[in-house]
Amino acid sequence: MTGPYGVGIGWRPEIAGFVAELPGLRFVEVVAESVPATGPLPPGLAQLRERAVTVVPHGVRLSLGGAEPVEPARVAHLAAVAQRVDAPLVSEHIAFVRAGGLEAGHLLPLPRSREAVDAVCANVARAQADLPVPIALEPIAALVDWPDDELDEADFLTEILDRTGALLLLDVANLHANARNRGTDPLALLDRLPLDRVGYVHVAGGAEHSGFYHDTHTDPVPPAVLELVGALCARRRPPALLLERDGDYPPAAQLRAELDALAAAANFPPVT
Amino acid sequence: MTGASPPAGNGPLPAGGLAQRQAELVAALVAGGPPPAGFAPAPLAATRAALLRKRAGEVARHWPLLAAGLGAGWPSTFAGWAANRPTVGSLRDGWDLARALREQGALPPAGVEELVVRESRLRYDGRSAPRPRRLPAVARAGGAVAVQIAGRVRLLRPAPRPPAARSAGGDGVPDAAGSAAWISD
Repeated sequence: MTGPYGVGIGWRPEIAGFVAELPGLRFVEVVAESVPATGPLPPGLAQLRERAVTVVPHGVRLSLGGAEPVEPARVAHLAAVAQRVDAPLVSEHIAFVRAGGLEAGHLLPLPRSREAVDAVCANVARAQADLPVPIALEPIAALVDWPDDELDEADFLTEILDRTGALLLLDVANLHANARNRGTDPLALLDRLPLDRVGYVHVAGGAEHSGFYHDTHTDPVPPAVLELVGALCARRRPPALLLERDGDYPPAAQLRAELDALAAAANFPPVT
Repeated sequence: MTGASPPAGNGPLPAGGLAQRQAELVAALVAGGPPPAGFAPAPLAATRAALLRKRAGEVARHWPLLAAGLGAGWPSTFAGWAANRPTVGSLRDGWDLARALREQGALPPAGVEELVVRESRLRYDGRSAPRPRRLPAVARAGGAVAVQIAGRVRLLRPAPRPPAARSAGGDGVPDAAGSAAWISD
């Protein structure tokens, strides 16, 4: 149960064969809701555990930012998966995914308000009470902004991390997407985030559609995102970087090249 | 984003607590609800479109033959149907869409086959989660016939294909044809 280290990749059934053959791999992340709480583990994942590869469960449907209390059954599932894979930590998002009885089907942003900070901190505390390991919280990429923010992004995130004691799962692609779509400077935000709290870092690809940069996870990692990885590491190198790819899987050589580029940008040993 | 003081509001704050305002935002994004006060229209529209693209991809994973049968028309067909319909899960979303297309006579042969295979295996009332059929069943639609006995499904007769569709593949989406042997989910 070692913490995430080095360059990792999001484990998905579609690329399980590719991931299994990465000789230097020490760390993967798995979507927590896709792992059953009982019964056999997905085959590729079980083999990675046998190789002592660290597996971090990544929740996507807890809705920690929802105004309603987080559903205990969802926390219990995340806790069970963490125990099954002997995870050193779990992660989730600063976001909500349902409200008023409707599923959004995606991560939606919170208003940067005191009320929202209170709501997310209360839900994180509820989750922490039932989780066997620490939780890392990930700020999301969002196209919409609420009209009445009381805090800026850095203060909003720092306050949530301070009050919950949670780790930060920093997504460099989200940082790029938000800055690009809002016309702000991602480095200025980096300078104000508590980088000593970073548990690990997400990196992913995206693409432009009708005037917006979308964090698709189905496109190559753009150079600007790799440059941000370098800028982050120049300030403080995180313990681990994880490549997220969720579809339109490229040929293995291309995926290996992306992993190598991450390793080079952060001066980690290559895993390929 | 780097200013020390919070941005000043333009005009009165929107009414309602966080729960109500989150519900309004979700309804505007997935259920055709009115745009919440104060949100810029272009990012809302872009978010709505991105959600529909993502949903279309997820439904296509549950209904690969339906999506492949519609080929390049899949994203727009799905988006047109789903725009104001909140998701009830990818399995049911695809099922509801396949039934709607069947009623319009717009379900492609591969989708017909996928539908009859599913309907012979599972009982779906259109309102709650599909459940396995305990008894043997025959499902028919658009000339295709599937039979299920003791949980094993067999496509007895594939859906007829119009002559032009036999040479398909031109839309760049694989797996559309040759689905007669495809069984199960």
